[in-house]
Amino acid sequence: MKKTILVLALLVIAAMALAACQPAASEPEVVVETVVVEGETKTETIVETVVVEGETKTETIIETVVVEVTPEPIVRSGGWLDRVVFSADGSTDSAVARLIAGDIDVYAQSSSNGEAYKTAVDAGLSTVQVATSYNDLTFNTYGPVFTESTGGLNPFAVREVREAMNWLLDRDYIAQEIMAGLARPKWFSLISIFPDYANNAAKAKQLESQYPYDPEKANTVISAQMEALGATKNADGLWEYNGEPVTIILLIRTEDERRQIGDYVANQLESIGFTTDRQYKTSSEASVLWVRGNVADGLWHLYTGGWIGNVISRDDAGDFQFFLSNKSAYGFTTLWQNYEVPPEVDEVYEALANSTFTTVAERSELMAKAMEYGLYWSNRIWLVDRAGFMPYSPNVSVSSDLAAGLTGTLLPYTLRFVDHEGGEMKFVQADMFVEPWNPQAGSNWFYDATPQRMTADAGVLYDPFTGLTLPQRVDHAELVAEEGLPIGVTYDWVSLEFAPEIVVPDDAWSDWDAVNQVFITAGERFTETTTAKIKSTVYYEEDMFSKMTWHDGSPMSAADFVMAMIMYFDQGKADSPMYDEAQAGTVESRLSALKGIRIVSEDPLVIETYTDGYVLDAELSISTWWPNYGYGDGAWHMMAIGNKAELSGELAYSADKADLGEVEQTSFIAGPSLEILKAKLDEAIAENFIPFAPTMGAFVTADDAAARYANLKDWYQVNGHFWVGVGPYFLEKVFPIEKTLVLTRYQNYPDPANKWSVFSEPRIAAAEVDGAARVTIGAEATFDVYVTFKDEAYPASDISTVKYLLFDATGTFAGEGLAELAEDGHYVVTLTAEQTGALTAGSNKLEVVVVSKVVSIPTFTSFEFVTSE
Amino acid sequence: MSTEVQPLVNAEATPKKKSSSGSLRILQYIGFRLVLLFLTVVVGVYLTILIANMGGFVDQIMRGQIRERITLQVQMNRTYDTLTPEARSKLTSEMIAVEEDRLGLNQPFAIRSFRYLKNALTLDLGRSLNMTSDTGSKQVRLIILERLPPTLVLFGASNLLLFFSSLYIALALSRKYGSFMDKLLIGLSPLSSVPAWFYGIFLILIFAAMLRWLPFGGMVDAPPPETTIGYILSLLKHMILPVFAWMLSSIFLNIYGWRTFFLIYSSEDYVEMAKMKGVTDRELERKYILRPTLPNIITAFAFVLIGLWGGAIITETVFNWPGLGQAYYHAVGLYDTPVVVGITVIYAYLYALTFFFLDFIYALVDPRVKVGSSGN
Repeated sequence: MKKTILVLALLVIAAMALAACQPAASEPEVVVETVVVEGETKTETIVETVVVEGETKTETIIETVVVEVTPEPIVRSGGWLDRVVFSADGSTDSAVARLIAGDIDVYAQSSSNGEAYKTAVDAGLSTVQVATSYNDLTFNTYGPVFTESTGGLNPFAVREVREAMNWLLDRDYIAQEIMAGLARPKWFSLISIFPDYANNAAKAKQLESQYPYDPEKANTVISAQMEALGATKNADGLWEYNGEPVTIILLIRTEDERRQIGDYVANQLESIGFTTDRQYKTSSEASVLWVRGNVADGLWHLYTGGWIGNVISRDDAGDFQFFLSNKSAYGFTTLWQNYEVPPEVDEVYEALANSTFTTVAERSELMAKAMEYGLYWSNRIWLVDRAGFMPYSPNVSVSSDLAAGLTGTLLPYTLRFVDHEGGEMKFVQADMFVEPWNPQAGSNWFYDATPQRMTADAGVLYDPFTGLTLPQRVDHAELVAEEGLPIGVTYDWVSLEFAPEIVVPDDAWSDWDAVNQVFITAGERFTETTTAKIKSTVYYEEDMFSKMTWHDGSPMSAADFVMAMIMYFDQGKADSPMYDEAQAGTVESRLSALKGIRIVSEDPLVIETYTDGYVLDAELSISTWWPNYGYGDGAWHMMAIGNKAELSGELAYSADKADLGEVEQTSFIAGPSLEILKAKLDEAIAENFIPFAPTMGAFVTADDAAARYANLKDWYQVNGHFWVGVGPYFLEKVFPIEKTLVLTRYQNYPDPANKWSVFSEPRIAAAEVDGAARVTIGAEATFDVYVTFKDEAYPASDISTVKYLLFDATGTFAGEGLAELAEDGHYVVTLTAEQTGALTAGSNKLEVVVVSKVVSIPTFTSFEFVTSE
Repeated sequence: MSTEVQPLVNAEATPKKKSSSGSLRILQYIGFRLVLLFLTVVVGVYLTILIANMGGFVDQIMRGQIRERITLQVQMNRTYDTLTPEARSKLTSEMIAVEEDRLGLNQPFAIRSFRYLKNALTLDLGRSLNMTSDTGSKQVRLIILERLPPTLVLFGASNLLLFFSSLYIALALSRKYGSFMDKLLIGLSPLSSVPAWFYGIFLILIFAAMLRWLPFGGMVDAPPPETTIGYILSLLKHMILPVFAWMLSSIFLNIYGWRTFFLIYSSEDYVEMAKMKGVTDRELERKYILRPTLPNIITAFAFVLIGLWGGAIITETVFNWPGLGQAYYHAVGLYDTPVVVGITVIYAYLYALTFFFLDFIYALVDPRVKVGSSGN
């Protein structure tokens, strides 16, 4: 009975509780709230929401107020992150799994592993595609009969056979199937995402249309040539020569997808009657045959070549000579020596390699010819531009370089978490500490250069999307070029002028006297007044020396720049106490072009450089003399202790000199070098050492030197190494065996963290063509071209050219021209009555090529229309 | 081997010789053994040098690689953009000459091979051709010494754990022949046909990628903890998966082998006799089974210790462990003969010394064995 009452009581209480929780049934609920809509302008909308019952809602807007948005000021200076922890993992599969698990944030190793790419994309990771390398099929052109050994037939000695290979191979198949989409078809040595391809994109497109996949045409051409060579087909349909099967020996590289490419090429050759001998070899095994071997031996016919192209290059004109002429740097091989280039072709390659043209238009003509010759002679045929991918967490933001991916020059300034400032980022690479770190001749491995660059700064930085330079510490620059040189300028931080003659002042530093440790002036070096082809004047920021300090606290000064200038020459001078045979050739080459340097002003720093060396872009012809020694930034006092160790013969900057003297190569971060450098620092403190005193003494006082060495000593005691940079992060800790290092944000770095945020993504244009689907032959026709980026009109000021190519119903090139600007993002292609009059009835194609100034990837789009009488 | 196991009865029956002639005999034996082992080392090391250089063919490969590397290096270096093709060609040729000279390629391979041999035998390990140690040194000694501790820690722990646990379990099973556990463990022995790295991949997938309990690889966290205790704990955490993989790949077969070995000894007449006399199980194991099998156990243990040298290439790679195995693999890939020879010669000396000392250890632990016995 008691239990029954208890249960009933509990039920009553529960019912009361539930009833209490229920909302009032009939009273409508009125809520007044302010809804803030964020955007470029912020609006506040006061909304009255009436909730009657259940989910029925009525919303009434009472008032909308537009509020002025004051952007939140960026107060953070230097790097966005508090710490970056670099470590190593050699496996892309493992790295992708770790990214998915949130164990790491970035994997900065380019990979063409298609499965890993798919996994990364499916898991929602961010990826960036980068140019890595490009593949070709190299022909042994000796023959047509190998004389030295086998006496076999070499069909690839015949130009027509080589050219026909362009039709036999399906580049799309290689890019899409073999490379899993991580590649682009390729017909020229020019890399399809670099400026030279973009500048010649119309010509490229025209030529590419002449060499499509057409195995029947290939078979017809090759068969005709084989018969002309005396070969016959046997009953099995196989080619024979002197009663023996014509066997094509393929050297197939095994390290990457070239294995599948080699198999594909062999299959295609077998399909037209050749017998193949597939020799699978690693780089070193194949190198003995194709680089070191004699092509006359007939030990190979085809080689699946691969070349690295991971730095944005703005001038690839020299590649034609490099790849296709016996004047190549590879001229030491019998393969290249055997390249017979007709004089008119050689002239074109030579002019492009030596820049002996005078205008950009002339260069374009030469490029067009070289591209034609390249395909016509086909000493090698190009297959694909490979792309790699680098995966990273969606919560990471960084400016990616078209070539270097995540590890471009803007990495230190743009790497951050999307959702917050600061924090510790885990940045993983395939390896670390490959060689010792020293700025003069240390490691230039990508794995070491990336963290090094985060500790460095620069006079100018490379634009990640065009490869041009942008000012970082430099305020502006002037370039004066000899009249007639084909130099152009894109950005306004450089002013370009031409002069009939550029005289080098007598007091300009022109060479280095390593014995007396003073510069040799131009007046002393040259017996007569000398001239230079260009003069660059670089103006650094007025407050640079008051705001920039090295990581040990030492203020930056002109002495750091002068030290770098001295070291530019000294080790290559035979009479230098620090002479390094390995540097001699480099210094000699430098001196062959350099005419003079003048420090016009110490603070603010202004430096003039007179030289015969120039490139086609004014921005890239500016000499900054930033104290980067080639393998990292260096403060003069840091280099001074390295020099002392070099002078005493205990350490050597270069690997060659270290081997020769059987001493350690200088490492400023780890290993046996540190104890030696520490002792040298103590010596420097005791002597108050000023390196190259006869010259440096004018830029460094005894007090400066004492203060700097004291700072370095403190730095070493705290951080345990001597790597002192000037960039947004400093090297805090090094763990060589664990292959880990820690970079920490440098608090005194002066620039705001968002300085380079504008380069968050490449502004690759989208293009669309619209117009009449039917055109009357002989009548004028117009087509609209819309160029956009993220659905916004692409500013005309950022567009270099919008060109069109016309192909008739047979696919034959029928003309080209420029589209006219109507307004931002809108261009008009007009086909004249004469142009349409030359077309026959059928389906024609209008191909449009858009070339941007701010990103070097051209955009292609096409439109098909029908012509009728 | 000139050591020989003699029946106990014979050993007892042999009349004692004078101590001086016994010492002379031992000295002669030591001398002979040392010469023989040294010759073995010489032959082994020289063969390694020849194989590592493919009889001198590697010179051709290296020359080709140098030319290719430097030509491309000059071509791609932006610093040289302003040079004419002729100036670049000249620079390239000079750089190639310096590099070939540095690597000693201007000296005939035959002469170099004997220099390598002499240096190796005198343990003057010299400098590597291309490899650097993690701290940036080219001294082969440092390249090896820097990688040795991680290898010893991982494979020392794995192998010692494996050795003693399989010994212990095998002994227990041999006493419970035919039991469920015996059948189970023997049934699992085919699992040992799978290499450690293969288990490693699965273990990483399960415990790191899916469950996220343990790290994917590496030796310690990145960055490594600052305190010693923290470092050791981090190291232990990172060792769990590789040690487990290593154990999984070998333990069942090891148990099977030792168990069978102990079973043979367990069925000896003197063991049966002891059992009938009522000797306890523990005493039976210790005195009647383990003691006569001690030379075999010591031999196996010695080889376990030697086996630590060199690590395991693929397992280290899978677990991203900075050990000697990976260093050896890189050295082979780079045709870095001094490093290959350096690691090999130490291995060879360790083997030779182990063989040498095992003779004496056998004599110490087994009264039936006499060093330098003529075998009569």
